[in-house]
Amino acid sequence: MFRYVTYRTLKSLPTLLALAVITFFMMRVAPGGPFSSNRRVPKEVRLNIENAYHLHDPIWEQFWRWFWGVLHFDFGPSFKYRDYTVSELIAHGFPTSLEVGLWAMFISTVLGLILGIAGALRRNGPIDYTAGAIAMVGLAIPIYVIGPIGQIVLGLHLQWLPIAGWDGTWPYKVMPILTLSLPNIAYVSRLMRGSMIETVRTNYVRTARAKGIGERKTILKHAMKGAIMPVVAYLGPATAITVTGSIVVETIFGIPGIGRYFVDGAISRDYPLVMGVTVLYGAIIILANLLTDIVRGILDPKVSYE
Amino acid sequence: MSFCNGNRPSVRRAAALNSAKSALFGAVLVAAGAALAASASAESTLVRGMGPTIGTLDPQLNFLANEGWIQDDMYEGLTAQDASGNIIPGAADKWELSDDGLTYTFHLRDGLKWSNGDPLVAQDFVNGVVRTVDPATASDKAYIFCSTIAVTGVCDFTAKKTSDPTKLGISAPDAKTVVVKLDKPAPYALIYFGSYYGAPLHKPSFDKFGAAFIKPENIVSNGAYHMAENVPQSHVTLVKNPNFWDAANVKIDKVVYQITEDNKTAVKLFKSGQLDVGVDIPADDVLNLQKEFGDEMHVTPYLETDYFSFNIKVPPFDNINIRKALSTALDRDTFINKVIKGGYVVNCGYVVPLPDYKGARVPECDMDQATRIKTAKALLAQGMKEANIKKLSFTIESSNDDTQKKIAETAALMWKKALGVDVKVNAQERDAWLDAFNGGKWQVFNDDLVGDFAGPETFLAYIDPRGGVYGWESKEYEDLWDKAMLAADKQQRYALLAQAEKVFLDQYTSTPLDAAPSRDLVSKKISGWVDNVGASHPTRFMTISGN
Repeated sequence: MFRYVTYRTLKSLPTLLALAVITFFMMRVAPGGPFSSNRRVPKEVRLNIENAYHLHDPIWEQFWRWFWGVLHFDFGPSFKYRDYTVSELIAHGFPTSLEVGLWAMFISTVLGLILGIAGALRRNGPIDYTAGAIAMVGLAIPIYVIGPIGQIVLGLHLQWLPIAGWDGTWPYKVMPILTLSLPNIAYVSRLMRGSMIETVRTNYVRTARAKGIGERKTILKHAMKGAIMPVVAYLGPATAITVTGSIVVETIFGIPGIGRYFVDGAISRDYPLVMGVTVLYGAIIILANLLTDIVRGILDPKVSYE
Repeated sequence: MSFCNGNRPSVRRAAALNSAKSALFGAVLVAAGAALAASASAESTLVRGMGPTIGTLDPQLNFLANEGWIQDDMYEGLTAQDASGNIIPGAADKWELSDDGLTYTFHLRDGLKWSNGDPLVAQDFVNGVVRTVDPATASDKAYIFCSTIAVTGVCDFTAKKTSDPTKLGISAPDAKTVVVKLDKPAPYALIYFGSYYGAPLHKPSFDKFGAAFIKPENIVSNGAYHMAENVPQSHVTLVKNPNFWDAANVKIDKVVYQITEDNKTAVKLFKSGQLDVGVDIPADDVLNLQKEFGDEMHVTPYLETDYFSFNIKVPPFDNINIRKALSTALDRDTFINKVIKGGYVVNCGYVVPLPDYKGARVPECDMDQATRIKTAKALLAQGMKEANIKKLSFTIESSNDDTQKKIAETAALMWKKALGVDVKVNAQERDAWLDAFNGGKWQVFNDDLVGDFAGPETFLAYIDPRGGVYGWESKEYEDLWDKAMLAADKQQRYALLAQAEKVFLDQYTSTPLDAAPSRDLVSKKISGWVDNVGASHPTRFMTISGN
């Protein structure tokens, strides 16, 4: 296992480097620059600003400076948020995005599995239809609609929760977490339902039942292991996407995470910020995929670490 | 952070009432009640929405309007602005302007202090300007002192022709006097010595912490408030500065500037009482909000002008009759009444409508639409004949901002319908849009400008041919501007500037369209908020009741 993890980690480094190189040069191809302005700023003033950030150095030199910084855990200064370095912005925002994202994934996984299993075992019954309806809502209504509806209903009319803002307390977390959970509940429950329906028809489950093992044990101990595999495969990348912040949820609910940096950074041509969050996202995707493969190995004896 | 509002139902009270009703949210609401109870205090707090997230609060670097609001609370320049946006004495209680209009001498008040108790002296204001224009600071604001008010030596300093700050035209001959020398008269210069451009620098903290001097734990400021907290993407908290010279008259103890990236959320926050002031309210919602909130919905003329510019360096827009025809065919009333509602007004001049400035107007503004179309058709026919073209087709470069895109698409339809020309709209990201303009690769540009202050000078300086923005030339304009800068009084200056504006409009390098308003929701708990065209609302002049 240790050898496998080390091998995968080392193998991921060239992937991360390729991601960084592609992102770096794609950003530079985009029209405009970080200090574009329609003000009549004299050329000398504009040059001073651009030179302060080495924007007129040869492009490879710029990349090397950035890369050298990253090797020293320094992602450089943000062009837009000039009071902060990119590392500071990520260090400040990522824990918030991570917290909201992990809670959302926890709720999605638990509720999604329960709804999926219940739907599969009580096919075409009221539970299945209810689970299907919830999934349909989660899949069909985008979060930029669900979020504001939640604000109006839970915040304005019922006044149970604050509408937006963030002070780290639970009232501020509930709506963003639920909003972020809903689509994932839908995906997980649908995946689980389909997979469970197939698994309960397999020979090994039939054998378990023939041996007289109780239904609950058959499902939870035997069928579950096989049926959960598609869900595990989905959860890896889904978790990576969710914990790196959702621009929609963070914008609507005013959460100080890093989700907005992906888009803000790209729009304002904040090259170091885009590089920072992209590399972070890449690293988390790689980590999530690694964890997924490890969990699959634990659940499925056919999977080998060799 | 203030969380409840005396006029509207508070979330705190509702949480207490409803917590027993819901099993699902029970635990959460108990926590909410505890957290909110803990936050209750006797101090008065104002929660101001501030729109999108801020870039920097460094007083010599920041360049966005919402950064300026915070800066106005945290710093005081030599001059200040009152609740109505008028220039008033700031750290300097008096000043003189030399007869040739080139030298300002500011005299500081007695006993001024920084927030940490250090004495505030004239050199601190000099240090602020020197840091702004220092090439190492890399500040956009350097251009103000180089070209807008042309402080002696600044352009050479920013161009690195000299590195000696003592050669600059700003100095402190003694601890209480700041002398500023200009290369050319700028009677509007006082605004640029206010907090936004002319904030002083507390050099000991800058020398000690470098760029980190602006962090809440390090900052030393001289305004009515100083910073207690800055949470990126969330909020900035300011608390009253007891060392401010007029602290006795500052009534609000704490100001929370809340980032409201999504302006629809800002409206909901205001409705719930989580915000006392909501800014940049969606234009589409203004009518409904006026019905719902009455006087709390403030729609005020502002310093933003929207217009189309024609690239006079590119055929066929080098032909004035074609430019004039396109300008004449626009039905500006339709734009305002049917396309972009929410307080926009027709603008017939380049300068936005200002209370004491009677500017020039394009003549077609005073025609009815039938006459406009008839005149435009004749002008276009003549222009096309002169340009030797049979068909006119062109592209409008626009930013992808919703309102700007709507403006460009409506104009394209109007021109197509009225004149039969073929118009495409290229809506793009703001940076790409600016890049197209700066690269000269455009035909018609969906343009806008936000002035620095409520005077025609800020707009007319931008289009001065010597600045080269639109590539037009006019000795007449330049002479009128120069004469205006030497005029004996404001009335005479504005009359000359109106003539210069007419010279520009007559060239049809640009054609005006509308002036955008500021749209704010202001709780009736607040007193001292005065609507003004410069959107200047320093918290120090406000009071808040009920919290």
